[in-house]
Amino acid sequence: MDFQAIHDRLRAVAAPGLVGADLPRKPDPKVKKDKGRAGDPFVIVEAQRLVEFLEVCRDDDRLKFEQLVDLSATDPAKDDAQLWINVQLLSLKFRHRLAIKCLLPKAAPSMPSTVPVYRASQWHERECAEMFGITFVGHPDPRNILLPDDWVGSPLRKDYEFPKEYHGISCE
Amino acid sequence: MTRETQSTPAASTRVQRLGAGELSVDIRTPDLEVNFGPQHPATHGVMRILMRADGELVTGAQPHLGYLHRCAEKIGENVEWLQYLPYTDRYDYLASMNNNLGYSLAVEALLGVEIPRRATLIRIICAELNRIGSHLVAFGTYGLDIGAFTPFLYTFREREWMMALFEKICGARLTYSYIRIGGLFNDAPPGWFEEVSRFCDVFEQKWQEYVDLLLVNQIYVKRTANIGIISREMALDFGLTGPMVRGSGIDWDLRRDMPYMCYDEIWRAGAFKIPVARGEMGALGDCWDRSWVRVMEMIESIKIVRWCLDNMVEGPVIADIPKTLKVPLGEAYVGIENPRGELGHYVVSDGGKVSIRTRVRGPSFCNLAVLEDILPGSLVGDAIAIIGSTDIVVGETDR
Amino acid sequence: MLSLENQFEENVLTTKVDWLINWARLSSIWPMTFGLACCAIEMMAVGAAHHDLDRFGAGAFRASPRQADLMIVAGTVNFKMAERVKRLYDQMPSPKYVIAMGACATGGGPYYKYGYTVVKGVDRVVPVDVYIAGCPPRPEALLEGLMKLQEKIRNSSVIRKPARTA
Repeated sequence: MDFQAIHDRLRAVAAPGLVGADLPRKPDPKVKKDKGRAGDPFVIVEAQRLVEFLEVCRDDDRLKFEQLVDLSATDPAKDDAQLWINVQLLSLKFRHRLAIKCLLPKAAPSMPSTVPVYRASQWHERECAEMFGITFVGHPDPRNILLPDDWVGSPLRKDYEFPKEYHGISCE
Repeated sequence: MTRETQSTPAASTRVQRLGAGELSVDIRTPDLEVNFGPQHPATHGVMRILMRADGELVTGAQPHLGYLHRCAEKIGENVEWLQYLPYTDRYDYLASMNNNLGYSLAVEALLGVEIPRRATLIRIICAELNRIGSHLVAFGTYGLDIGAFTPFLYTFREREWMMALFEKICGARLTYSYIRIGGLFNDAPPGWFEEVSRFCDVFEQKWQEYVDLLLVNQIYVKRTANIGIISREMALDFGLTGPMVRGSGIDWDLRRDMPYMCYDEIWRAGAFKIPVARGEMGALGDCWDRSWVRVMEMIESIKIVRWCLDNMVEGPVIADIPKTLKVPLGEAYVGIENPRGELGHYVVSDGGKVSIRTRVRGPSFCNLAVLEDILPGSLVGDAIAIIGSTDIVVGETDR
Repeated sequence: MLSLENQFEENVLTTKVDWLINWARLSSIWPMTFGLACCAIEMMAVGAAHHDLDRFGAGAFRASPRQADLMIVAGTVNFKMAERVKRLYDQMPSPKYVIAMGACATGGGPYYKYGYTVVKGVDRVVPVDVYIAGCPPRPEALLEGLMKLQEKIRNSSVIRKPARTA
């Protein structure tokens, strides 16, 4: 199914937390400085209801997204007050993909963990947590995965300051 | 062989009087915690697995990553689009062409450029040859882990030839940066296609050697069959892709099911098949099935290369891309079939010269998570075979 | 051997003994399997049949540092790994040598600028004898690095007193 059909189906089954969709568009000549948007369409979902939304995506007969391919986060800009959570789903049966975006406040980013729905997100969430400082409530194993256990700071945030030294080894 | 064990915090004994002067003493000792890695000849890189072992039986395994974390995603936000390409080579360093390809396709999805046909065909040839090279290392080092030293030398012999071919086309042996945004770095030198054709002819005979020497070798079969069984549900739940999922009997390959470049044309022409394991030597989804998938894929890659050589066209090899690239505002995710699984690049642009997010979905990172569930219950020697069969490259798990 | 090191004045006998000891050492440098990243694949290619490392006497890769003479640091070292590199270096018995193979081990490599966890050169952690440039260096470059190390060993004085600097 193409994106429009998937979005219609999500609305038809009243998927919880579905806020809207964002489609690529050409620049609007009537609006000055409108650059348009290239790339893929995605649906926007409330972060706190992502778990129920993913359950619907996984179990619905016409959607059947068996695999969670990627769960990551983005810090769009230094002065932007929000973080994005990007989820990519894949259906092997129907050969379609879905891109989901959730918005979290940068000051206290916290959302329920999606591990009960897909085991694949266990390590992805650990990585997001250490790189962006996001708390996934209910995660079975919230340790650092790629960074040392005593690392300070969230490296992938735009306002991250590179460390000067670590355990006696200089970083300069 | 599996059995339920509970680790006891302290030794405890149970003494039972059996008969005249006979005692039965049941001693439970605490489990041993063994550090498997980060420096170890069989971990395929710097990875550490904290194993709990009750004698020879593994009762728990916890992978620890991050020993090769090289901040690739942070670098993606600080260097220009074209400057990021050499970093893509270095995550899965055994399949550099495929990494370049994944990144280039993701950025081209945002740019919306048309790639010349000759560039697409040469890209496919390079990607498939690199797939063969990667599977050669995977197969050779897997034999090395298990104790067979000779197949490793045989596979590296073919790999030297493949690397010589790549050296002729782009100058590098391991990290190529050849597949660029918009096409290729340069055209193939004269005589290159004939050499590739000769490589294909010779490789088919050598491939038969690998099958006879190792794949159907009774010792190899005994060491790899019926262990590390990944069920279909587990494969889907953990997001496994590539030979891990085809080794469990799931017929899924991005080149055929969600085709990119001109793989749909090659598939419709019937040029290649997708090998899916059938559980020939043991249970479906065991280590032997996964290595069988990798060996069979090498021959299918040769067929794809042959089709591209037969249908090669003349023309430019790069689209018109400015030196300082500004990518339009937007975001795109493109997943391609890497030798290890689905390599995904998620790129976000704000219209400028530098990306605001370059997320890399490494297949080895996702494939590795399953170890926590399949290692307990196996013997220590089998644990080595299971880890080898996941075919991970730590540059990709840690990025 | 330890009590005899650097004890004797230079004369014909000590020179010959030193030559013999050095020849024995440089002809049988046993490396430790310490491939970290992409350079490890080129190290494996050097150990394979085409560029044979065994003809230098250095083909016996030992897994345990306690049995190895040489640590070829092939790949990027980051902070998490640096502590392990130091520990492995300390576990190697003397005389021990370190080759920093590749741009990352030499000076941080391409991850120099924005790599927040990358150690900018393994010589911040362990003393290095030979640096090999390249990303990754060709197998021939690794062989040349090994030969340079052999030359370094050939010119070292084991039982002779080191020359006094005025």
